[in-house]
Amino acid sequence: METAAPKRPLLLRVVEDYWGILLLLLAWQLWVVLNRFNPIVMPTPVAVLGDLVGHPMVYVRNVGITLAVAVFGLVAGMAVGTGLAVAAWFSPVASGLLNPLTVLFSSVPVVALIPVIARLLGYDTSTVLAIVVIITFFPSFVFASSGLRSPPPGSEDLFRVLGASRLSVLWRLALPAAMPNLAIAFKLAAAHAILAAMVAEFLMGTSGLGYLFAKTKSDFQTEQAFGASAVATVISAAAFLLAGLVEKRVRARYA
Amino acid sequence: MTAGTRNALLGATGIALFLVLWETVGQLKLAGISWPPLSAVLEMLTDEGRRPLFQRALVATLEETAQGYLWGTTAGLALAALAHLVPPLRRGSDRLAAVLNSVPSIALGPIFLVLLSRDSTPAAVSSIHVFFIVFVSMGSGLERATPAHRDLFAVLGADRLKRFRRLELPAALPALASGLRLAWPAALIGAIIGEWFGASRGIGILIINAMQNFQIVLLWCAVLLAVGASLVFYGLLTLLERAAYARFG
Repeated sequence: METAAPKRPLLLRVVEDYWGILLLLLAWQLWVVLNRFNPIVMPTPVAVLGDLVGHPMVYVRNVGITLAVAVFGLVAGMAVGTGLAVAAWFSPVASGLLNPLTVLFSSVPVVALIPVIARLLGYDTSTVLAIVVIITFFPSFVFASSGLRSPPPGSEDLFRVLGASRLSVLWRLALPAAMPNLAIAFKLAAAHAILAAMVAEFLMGTSGLGYLFAKTKSDFQTEQAFGASAVATVISAAAFLLAGLVEKRVRARYA
Repeated sequence: MTAGTRNALLGATGIALFLVLWETVGQLKLAGISWPPLSAVLEMLTDEGRRPLFQRALVATLEETAQGYLWGTTAGLALAALAHLVPPLRRGSDRLAAVLNSVPSIALGPIFLVLLSRDSTPAAVSSIHVFFIVFVSMGSGLERATPAHRDLFAVLGADRLKRFRRLELPAALPALASGLRLAWPAALIGAIIGEWFGASRGIGILIINAMQNFQIVLLWCAVLLAVGASLVFYGLLTLLERAAYARFG
């Protein structure tokens, strides 16, 4: 996009792209300063930044944990979702059985399930992982299913005429046709994976960014609690942007 | 048998199988004591003595969710319309929405607690979730009017506002309706998380209390309440979405 348009001056570009975020940060700073809030109640963004720069190792360690769980859960959830979608593609009976259930489940508020899953799997990382898998499973199943079913018009007849096996139709036609949809699912799931992991960690209190938030919040280290949130915000916004780029490439390649 | 009835039958079978599985695992204690049979959960849920407890929690959470849904929808529509009518503001508002959506809900809680009040926090957290979904769906919906229609309006001498009201807004309604449907479960999640930061009642409070006191069946009851609150309105909004597609799609 930058290459096509004539280059705008840097300042104008920053203002145009980030006016909303800058306004928000400015309002936050003013709000805290003018109300003279105690930093325990509400720190300024500048103070939060100070804590981030001052104690980088605390953040790095916990970011590593949360990121690992989120990425692993994202991959596993998408694999399970796509796998089940393929199974449903092979068998109309399976798809008939599964479809209403997944619609039902995809509207279930997943946070409500965290305590239940924690009781079943234990109050540790496996529960955090399970939550991320569940949250990424639904979009991948729904989008993969509809993608597998919408190959380019006429192409299925061609494959049938040429005597292709069901497996080769799947591999050569249906799966490539589902790729753009899977990319959308990936984009939806990527940002949520980290945030869901954080909520689970917050409730469970084991490790990771959510745990860091809960612990520092109850120790009245509010600056660090907000630091953890700021880091999570940046990572999940970056994941959203990155996944958007991946989606564009996949669409260009397969659509 | 038509394909429609066959699918409906299969779907009903799928749901029935799931419920039977739930009951069996609970009865045989295959997953330990943390997985009660469905019948035990339903028994507690319909227990006369507990009705006031469940009713209070459900009503409180629904009120917060509805309030957040309203605030979030209003804000999302306003920003989407502004970004659409004033193109220089577009990139910045996209980024603002993306970043707001990336803020962990558990961090929103403490902020709104200071900014507003204990009782408004669930609705406020919920409104942020709704805002993003409505903003994105309305934004893409407003782009949906075809160039041919735009040209026609230009030729007939419609000004910018008239084109917005008569062409782009109606064309955006189906996408908006999809967004409104998806926003309900998100609003409910926001309200439940918001309640963890000191609301006096609600499903989120019920969940946390049941979890901390190891009241397993009560915990499952609370989860079922949340699921019900999500499904009923999700279903209604699906009908609204269908109507929007039929009329404006």
